[in-house]
Amino acid sequence: MPSVQSPQAVDPPASHSNPHALLPFLRSQSQNTLTRLYQRPSSCLSIYRLLGPLERQLVMNLLWLESAIPVNTMAVWVVPEGKKLYDDALAVMTGLHILQNSTVKLALNPTFKSSLRQAITGGGSTGSFGVPAEKDDKRQPGGIEVLDAYALERWETILHYMVSSGQGQLPTKPSQGVLYLLQRSELMKANHGATLQITSSGFQFLLHSPHDQLWDLLLQYLHMAEERQMDLVEVLSFLFMLSTMELGREYSTDPLSETQKVLLEDLRDYGLVWQRKASSKRFSPTRLATTLTSLSPSLPTSSSTGGSRVGATTSAIGVAASTAQQGFIVLETNYRVYAYTDNPLQTAVLNLFITMKYRFPNLVVGMLTRESVRKALANGISAEQIISYLSTHAHPQMRKNNPLLPVTVQDQIRLWELERNRLKSAEGYLYRDFASQADYMYVLEYAKQLDVVLWENGAKRCFFGSLEGHANVRGFIERRTGGG
Amino acid sequence: MRAIKGILLTCDSAVKQILLTMNEKAPFVIEDLDEFHLVIKADEEYRVRRELEAELEKNTYSLEAN
Amino acid sequence: MEKASHLSVIVDLSPTQWHLSAQADNQYPLSIQTFLSQLLAFLNAHIASQHENTLAVFGALPGKSVMLYSSTEVLADDAAAPDANSYPPFKAVDSTVVQRMMYEFDAFKDVEEEAPCALVGALAKALCYINRITHPSTSPGGAAEDPSILPDPRILILSVSPDLSSSYIPIMNSIFSAQKLKVTIDVCKIYGPDTVFLQQAAHLTNGSYIYLERRDALLQYLIMSFLSPPAIRKVLAVPKQDKIDFRAACFCHKNIVDVGFVCSVCLSIFCQPVPVCSTCRTKFPIKTLQRLNASRPSLAPTSSRNTLPLANLNNATPRPTPPRNVNGGTPGLR
Repeated sequence: MPSVQSPQAVDPPASHSNPHALLPFLRSQSQNTLTRLYQRPSSCLSIYRLLGPLERQLVMNLLWLESAIPVNTMAVWVVPEGKKLYDDALAVMTGLHILQNSTVKLALNPTFKSSLRQAITGGGSTGSFGVPAEKDDKRQPGGIEVLDAYALERWETILHYMVSSGQGQLPTKPSQGVLYLLQRSELMKANHGATLQITSSGFQFLLHSPHDQLWDLLLQYLHMAEERQMDLVEVLSFLFMLSTMELGREYSTDPLSETQKVLLEDLRDYGLVWQRKASSKRFSPTRLATTLTSLSPSLPTSSSTGGSRVGATTSAIGVAASTAQQGFIVLETNYRVYAYTDNPLQTAVLNLFITMKYRFPNLVVGMLTRESVRKALANGISAEQIISYLSTHAHPQMRKNNPLLPVTVQDQIRLWELERNRLKSAEGYLYRDFASQADYMYVLEYAKQLDVVLWENGAKRCFFGSLEGHANVRGFIERRTGGG
Repeated sequence: MRAIKGILLTCDSAVKQILLTMNEKAPFVIEDLDEFHLVIKADEEYRVRRELEAELEKNTYSLEAN
Repeated sequence: MEKASHLSVIVDLSPTQWHLSAQADNQYPLSIQTFLSQLLAFLNAHIASQHENTLAVFGALPGKSVMLYSSTEVLADDAAAPDANSYPPFKAVDSTVVQRMMYEFDAFKDVEEEAPCALVGALAKALCYINRITHPSTSPGGAAEDPSILPDPRILILSVSPDLSSSYIPIMNSIFSAQKLKVTIDVCKIYGPDTVFLQQAAHLTNGSYIYLERRDALLQYLIMSFLSPPAIRKVLAVPKQDKIDFRAACFCHKNIVDVGFVCSVCLSIFCQPVPVCSTCRTKFPIKTLQRLNASRPSLAPTSSRNTLPLANLNNATPRPTPPRNVNGGTPGLR
């Protein structure tokens, strides 16, 4: 049987597999907006981190130069095979107005340059890394455990609400703001009247990593902020400021603008920021916020056994350990899934594509069946998403296997997906009964130039053109017959 | 020369045979182009897809049913 | 997913060399203060690149080596007070490195004579440190080791002192362990003559050795050549030394030799024929000794820069009788 495994993407060296979701949004902003944003060192530092590795190196190469350098001088550093990657990187940087648009010389945007320099050397008076709150002798600041627990609780409430809306249960509702955002982002849709129902993009969203989910929502928030006439620069710089703050420290709300205070409330709902009371003059960023521009897991391990390890992620060892501990799924070649979890959210997400069999206090057993997978596919989840969810959350014991997931099961999931797509359809027009072969060839040639031909057969002297091309093709034929 | 509005279906030959059988009961095919292509009436696609689904479903057996 | 990278920087802090480097009669005088500010900017640039990047700084001082900073361990007693204008991790690096360096320098105030710089000690410490962080299996929960998340370790040596020939053996041993750990060693020679051993270290670990020509552009050199992790170097090339001095130091007088004599048993290197190998106690036949002494080049061994093959002391086993093939004592290629 031929394997339906899709070709594994081989990472070329230093390639940035997918640029960060925020970058296209930044690109769509005016140069003016971006330049205002670049005035703050913390924003420059965060944006710098969101860039791909090659872009980052190029920024650094140019950062300490006083004058522009000729394009050719930098180009000699590039090895021939890397030319395309290098050109792409320059295009990204120009698009973000980090690099000045010029074909002969390379130089950074002066505002970006001076702010990033300031971020690296310290100093200045922009206060862009957050003003720490005065020490409060009466109360201890919320510990890292408190912050983690808060972030986790907020975030899981949102996800759990989404996942259970499809099953008619009604768990705790997130705040009104969150609900509105979910609706705006079309992750959920109001069905009949008031009840919100998860959409197919919502199902896909559930299988993303927390980091991606967070950015998905924040991007929606940014779009919404534009409509609400909030100053985008203030919103973005606040987010970037959060991402450079220190976990477990308290910051003062005094220097924040009105817009940013509104933002603070919203972010508190999402679990990015913790405050003792809504009226408190101080706030602490949670791990969700401080890891906005990093790769480390944005949430502490969700299982209740993870408590003792919280707080270790500041070290490299901690990062390594906690990513590994996120795995809890064992998948066997007989399609059985064992999930070592007691987390209702993880169980609910799994329930999207497996048939549950048994539940124990710390273990859920289920089967990947044709029905369960087809149900997921019908909800808009793709086979690749199921496979990638299973592999990212694979139990450490599974990591010894190579390949990680049994190939038979992977193939079968893909086959089930293919099976749903046995019929492809395209609307359009069938052109037939041409008077002569020359006529046919002439019209076909024209339609081919427009790239609207979906099917052709010279022997039958007919072809099928897409709907979009019809007006043109018809016009062409009429002109031709009209002109004799 | 004629232009006929319709939907081009691309499928494997097994599915095409099922479609042709279905066509005998309630006609919807405009033109049988070749082994893998059919043109059908533009407003029939939803019904055809639903019926085909049901037909294909008859041919699958799952462990769970036992 | 993009890997985090680890950088260990070894700073040569020889007071004498830095004093010489700051002299105004140099073409580009570079004082340790200027150097330090540029170094800190470079270190910050490394941490800036990725949230997960880790950093360690080691200082090679006369007669001792110390760890000046590590991003996985807290070294400074009091954490720097947060301030609104700097990124906390940057501030932590800057203040810790400066504070520890000052402390070490103060400790040397009363010392009359300067011991040679413990560069090898620092290198060995850096390797041990890297070994520890890349193999976290000893820590609890490290059972599920995923190789894709291990940092990509590198060592950067900023050297100002000349070669210390007595450290040849320990340096070579360090290089071999670096190769085993897949650690790249980069070398930036900031002041003083080229060092043969560090050139070899960079060459053998696939790193680059750069002699700083324009010392006023130190930061630019550091960033262009040493900031990029190996993956980026496949796109943006980093200059490598085209001529490498492969000469070794003899075990007897620690001289760097062009032509040496190699013990056939344990491969120890000597600058002159010896009757007994000092390492493995093998006795060499007297005849071979005489012949080799006669064939020694009359020139002083270090005058020529050409790398000549090392001569083999003989091909014999440590038997007291001379080998049957007397002519076989011609210098063999090593």
